[in-house]
Amino acid sequence: MTQELSKFDRIIERYERSEESLLAILQDYQREFQYVPEEGMRRLSEVMGVPLSKLYAMATFYKALSLVPRGRHTIKVCTGTACHLKGAPQILETLERELRVKRNGTTEDGEFTLECVNCVGACAMAPVILVDEVYHGQNRPSKVMDIIKKQVGS
Amino acid sequence: MGTINSIEELDRYRQKLAAAVKPNLPTVLVCFGTGCQANGSRLVAEAFTEVIKEQGLQVNVNLGIKTTGCHGFCENGPLVVLRPQDILYLKVKPEDVPEIVEESVKGGRIVQRLVYQDKVTGEQVAHYNEIPFYKHQLRIALRHIGTIDPTSIDDYILAGGYAGLAKALTMRPEDIITEVERSGLRGRGGAGFPTGTKWRSCAAVQSDVRYVMCNGDEGDPGAFMDRSIMEGDPHAVIEGMIIGAYAVGSHQGYIYVRDEYPLAVRNLSIAIEAAREKGLLGKNILGSGFSFDIKIIRGGGAFVCGESSALMRSVEGNVGEPRAKYIRSVERGLYNKPTVLNNVETWANVPEIILKGADWYASMGTEGSKGTKVFSLVGKVNNTGLVEVPMGISIRELVENIGGGIQGGKKFKAVQTGGPSGGCIPERLADLPIDFDSLTKAGSMMGSGGIIVMDEDTCMVDVAKYFTGFLVEESCGKCTPCRDGLPRMLDLLTDITEGRGTEEHLAMLEELCDLLTWGALCGLGTSAANPVLSTIRYFRDEYEAHIKDKKCPAGVCKALITYSIDPEACTGCRLCAKNCPQTCITGERKKPHVIDVSRCIRCGVCKDVCPYDAVRVS
Amino acid sequence: MEKISVIIDGKVFEAEKDTCVLEVARRNGIYIPSLCYHGEVPSSGGSCRVCLVEAHQGGRMRLVTACNYPVRQGLEVKTDTPLVQRIRRGILELLLARVPNSEVIREMAAKEGVTEARFRKDEGESERYKCIACGLCTHVCAEVVGVHAIAMVGRGADKKPATPYDKPSDVCIGCGACAYACPTGAIQLKEKDGIRRIWHKDFEMVRCSVCGVPYIPKAQVDWIVKRTGKDRSFFDRCPDHR
Repeated sequence: MTQELSKFDRIIERYERSEESLLAILQDYQREFQYVPEEGMRRLSEVMGVPLSKLYAMATFYKALSLVPRGRHTIKVCTGTACHLKGAPQILETLERELRVKRNGTTEDGEFTLECVNCVGACAMAPVILVDEVYHGQNRPSKVMDIIKKQVGS
Repeated sequence: MGTINSIEELDRYRQKLAAAVKPNLPTVLVCFGTGCQANGSRLVAEAFTEVIKEQGLQVNVNLGIKTTGCHGFCENGPLVVLRPQDILYLKVKPEDVPEIVEESVKGGRIVQRLVYQDKVTGEQVAHYNEIPFYKHQLRIALRHIGTIDPTSIDDYILAGGYAGLAKALTMRPEDIITEVERSGLRGRGGAGFPTGTKWRSCAAVQSDVRYVMCNGDEGDPGAFMDRSIMEGDPHAVIEGMIIGAYAVGSHQGYIYVRDEYPLAVRNLSIAIEAAREKGLLGKNILGSGFSFDIKIIRGGGAFVCGESSALMRSVEGNVGEPRAKYIRSVERGLYNKPTVLNNVETWANVPEIILKGADWYASMGTEGSKGTKVFSLVGKVNNTGLVEVPMGISIRELVENIGGGIQGGKKFKAVQTGGPSGGCIPERLADLPIDFDSLTKAGSMMGSGGIIVMDEDTCMVDVAKYFTGFLVEESCGKCTPCRDGLPRMLDLLTDITEGRGTEEHLAMLEELCDLLTWGALCGLGTSAANPVLSTIRYFRDEYEAHIKDKKCPAGVCKALITYSIDPEACTGCRLCAKNCPQTCITGERKKPHVIDVSRCIRCGVCKDVCPYDAVRVS
Repeated sequence: MEKISVIIDGKVFEAEKDTCVLEVARRNGIYIPSLCYHGEVPSSGGSCRVCLVEAHQGGRMRLVTACNYPVRQGLEVKTDTPLVQRIRRGILELLLARVPNSEVIREMAAKEGVTEARFRKDEGESERYKCIACGLCTHVCAEVVGVHAIAMVGRGADKKPATPYDKPSDVCIGCGACAYACPTGAIQLKEKDGIRRIWHKDFEMVRCSVCGVPYIPKAQVDWIVKRTGKDRSFFDRCPDHR
């Protein structure tokens, strides 16, 4: 067995052999590899005896799962209502322009993935962005790039 | 101590914990909520522990989660509360810690520069309970939040936790159901179905297996009360579920938590593990012979999974698509077995209702909506955050008294309630009492309790477009009206906001709303028209301004606005010109600048950076 | 099974309890349009919504899909009220905007008086130019054939039936049941020179030893033999020459 496969097995082993575990395993893949690799899906299908088509349907349905590798850093722009009212669209536009990437895309150099996410429940800090899961509140179009640069150190 | 084997042992254990607490010992509570953690509360807590240890002081340092933190103070985190004086400090840095210990903990004096200042009156308020935001609150679901360490079961037990369960285990299951029915508790997830009725229906179905479930897939944007409860008081949810399971005869429970809430997942997992160790979950709970356990399922980032049948499909390990509910889930729910599904806040209320009785609970609230409700008050309001108040409080009281009015002294325009299934209620109806039935009558709904405050700078057509866009993204795609109808609605709204709207657009919007309401498969679709219908109903003039005059009165819709610089206010500081991504702002230093409108992309950067508020939008 | 009586459009009919309204109506010659439902496929139905009818029960009226609403004693169904007509027309108009090239949808819509969709029409993407994303094909594949080669992937307006990664499926047997079941004929099944092509995959066909006509994919024969233990030689001849 290749090293890759045993990596998947280590994740699968954490859970009981039940369909209830499928989503959790796919999420652990996502966390570990920054996406859900096709080989991992095939392995899961084999071990659990679950059709690959079903796993593929799940992976394309749930937003937390991505079938393509994401960038080294993920920037999430909260698009909840409070953030929307307080300028999230301008923040998003600024990031699209400055990073030269469309929402839910990854920059050519593989450095950043820009995502829109539903309300993260930090409305008091609106508009909110998350840079690699670190919250930043009260963003402004003119300052948002500095915040990102400061955190990722480039 | 290991397992607690009986109700008497639980009492003895609580007494033992109480005896260990030195009553007048100062306590430092450091907020560990999402916002405060982001601002570095961990470092602050470490600094306190260190200074206190160094000086050999007798002080409790608690890492409590403060929803108080979210009372508009998140941006001012990390928050620290000192007991017993109840002093609240904002924006505490590790370097402030020695001073706080010296002045306040030891000296009992207040460090003025760290206290709350009222945004309207400018008044400084040091004591937690005197801040207007807390004064009007009545906390039941949020009873422990901010005062206990959510990762400590001892803290919960000491605060009276699991006493409701202990009492329930001495009652007959049907009496528990009757008590919940008599309390008038209605589901806090949105629809407001009577909780006791749901339990009774489930218990009445013949079946070998039943399930109880907790819906923690809080998806309404702008609502975060469930997150706060799961993060800040996970045992309250667990205790409620054990009581519910005992009442309906279930031995397995599930909590479905949104993937976006990692801290909630973590604290719930810790709490479940601790409850198992103490024998409060698992076999033979408190020696009663009753067995029950709970499993956590993480959601996958799909709003529709907040819908009960979709949630159950998702737990079973499928795509979260709703099913027709012609047979109710209390009869055939999870794995086709009778299932009680309640929301986080509903479960958190249950232990208190059992402990203090139905009459106590029913004495609060209105005729049809009993008890309290947690709201998340957000948007263009001065104090944002979680508020728990009796049902029936008016929108105006909430926004003006508790919320401290509109930010920047602007005009209060509307509130949006109920998330994408709800609607907008205009300021002129702000004296409406907030309860399940009044909000529905006004064309909105309670939803999970998000109250988004809007001011004169909010465009109602843009709001309708925002929610429709949200639902287009979140529609599961199973049924025709939702899958194909919502994108058409979004097309029409986009046309209107971009100046291509006609009267025909409005008529077609209304037709599509009708189609969704009657024709869609699940609650997401049948309520999807509410944001559009309510804004057309109350703000038709604004739609017409977009359509007839090609103007956006609130100055939001990009295609209909232009940016310009007020030559009177401009000092020629060049800041806007330097920051303009289009480099379309010109002018000499110290002379008024001009925007080349033909190249302007209306990104708003100039307005954002201008220190003199000289950029105008019209 | 328990027999109950149900009223449809003013007439009383006997039916087995929990049969769906659509079946009862069909058996009694009452027309209700339907697309995504198939009587032999347990999970089918409920998605296209063209079969919505008024269900009156216990003093309450709601619109329900006839294809999965169970008949119970005291139920009264109305299939042709102004409300039903209005919603049905709306749904057909949406479908017409989605798949303007589908004859089935054009005919069904015309029958309700809808000939033109006022909404933006979808660009005729080749693979979904007739697909209404009702999911019947995937239910047939999973529940009738039992191979799970295709599933409904994606969500919202992008939802479509597909094989994993849109690649030729490892498990597809080329039986074509999905294509036969599709209400709008949206699934392409092509045969040429003894090769069948479906879902991006080529299947070698077995020829009838009598007439020489290629009539069943070899992969399907393998599947049936493996599953049922039937003798392989049974498939030497096509059904007409057995």
